[in-house]
Amino acid sequence: MRDGDEFIDEEGAVVNDEGETMTGGDETTRQATKKRASTGSALGFRSVVRVHGTGPTAVRALGPIDLDVADGEFVAVMGPSGSGKSTFLGLAGALDLPTEGRVTILGTDLAQLGTSQSATLRRRAIGFVFQELNLLPGLTALENVALPLELDGVSSNEARRQSVEALARVQMERLSHRFPDDLSGGEQQRVAIARAMVGERRLLLADEPTGALDSVTGEVVMRCLREHVDRGRTVVLVTHDSSHAAWADRVVFLRDGQILRETRSSRPFLPRVLGPRP
Amino acid sequence: MYTQYTPSHPKALPSPHESGAPLSVRHSILALLAEVPTHGYGLKTAFEESTAGTWPLNMGQVYTTLARLERDGLVRTAGMGEPDRQTWEITAEGKEALAAWFATPVDLDPPSRDELALKVLLAVAADIVDVDAILQAQRTATMERLQGYTGYLRDADPEDELPWVLILDSLILKAQAELAWIDRCEERLRVAKRTRS
Repeated sequence: MRDGDEFIDEEGAVVNDEGETMTGGDETTRQATKKRASTGSALGFRSVVRVHGTGPTAVRALGPIDLDVADGEFVAVMGPSGSGKSTFLGLAGALDLPTEGRVTILGTDLAQLGTSQSATLRRRAIGFVFQELNLLPGLTALENVALPLELDGVSSNEARRQSVEALARVQMERLSHRFPDDLSGGEQQRVAIARAMVGERRLLLADEPTGALDSVTGEVVMRCLREHVDRGRTVVLVTHDSSHAAWADRVVFLRDGQILRETRSSRPFLPRVLGPRP
Repeated sequence: MYTQYTPSHPKALPSPHESGAPLSVRHSILALLAEVPTHGYGLKTAFEESTAGTWPLNMGQVYTTLARLERDGLVRTAGMGEPDRQTWEITAEGKEALAAWFATPVDLDPPSRDELALKVLLAVAADIVDVDAILQAQRTATMERLQGYTGYLRDADPEDELPWVLILDSLILKAQAELAWIDRCEERLRVAKRTRS
């Protein structure tokens, strides 16, 4: 089951290094890490087309599109239903292959991977957060987070250590021994995010992760994703909610399977005679 | 708790305060004096602190307003507090006027003029310009503004900086409403186009 190690090893050193240097959370380290992390490519779409079906009933769900997401970037993808968001996410998560064009994930060309290598890439390098959380009800929050690591052969102690750390990042360490049914919707969502962040996964894909949550809880979830990016990881968020997309560095608008336009974050001028203490 | 800095740009705060009714400095001063008798400069700093510094107030405005409030019997002088500083306090009539102000809902009728809506309506009525291009340009600008406000929110502490966070929430929700309206316009135009063809 270690057949995908080439690409993990190649990039893994950076991640390990980050994991150690980032624990202090100091701003200089964060900037330095971000700079270093942003040299790589998390996602690359080159002339990508995805057609569902064949013959006269074939439907072009996506493309042609070109898109690059750099390592350490937070990108939101917005668009009305049927605009190709889900198809995009399927390709970005190595769950699907393009009909035409080239998709690279963390520098690896999807077309070059066999089925098991593709599964390894998904398991080790990509975290998924969906609206349906799929937390196992018979396991505690901690066990839910640790499960993917243990399935991947990480020792029980090490999986536990990393899971505690991931739960702490989403401020859920105190509730780590609770079962999903004893957690609120927002708390369950944070456990699901911890599970997607745990280990050395560099790319986190989120599909409407705040769907069923109230707006203040939704904001807590967005802060968790933002902090993950500030630690040098990459987040791609698919959402219809502009207030959540606004947490991203870049927002990509899809319409009819094409990229309509992109916006970038910039601070509008707000006069403040008094500002918070630096 | 706060440090002072001077805005580097003379532009006034965007919505919600530039449109609609002018800011009621008069009632704000009454509200501050209802809490504790204060001198003019104290009113200025207390006002700016409670509005997270987004409404700069000059001392001229404070003194002019105090003079008018005194003329109307809503405030009176309460002797000298700190050296050479005239302290002011609210009167019973002032408390009544303030209570009435708080109890009256803000009048949003008629709605303020909306230049975006006007542009879209004119573009739809007169077939001289691409409506979609107008909507896309606005969506980009508004989304970038929303991303910027969210950036401020990200850096803010919702507990220590509550006034600032509440102002950001207001700006964020208005930008969000504008984006939702742009989406709605697109949908309606699409349907209308289908029906026509």
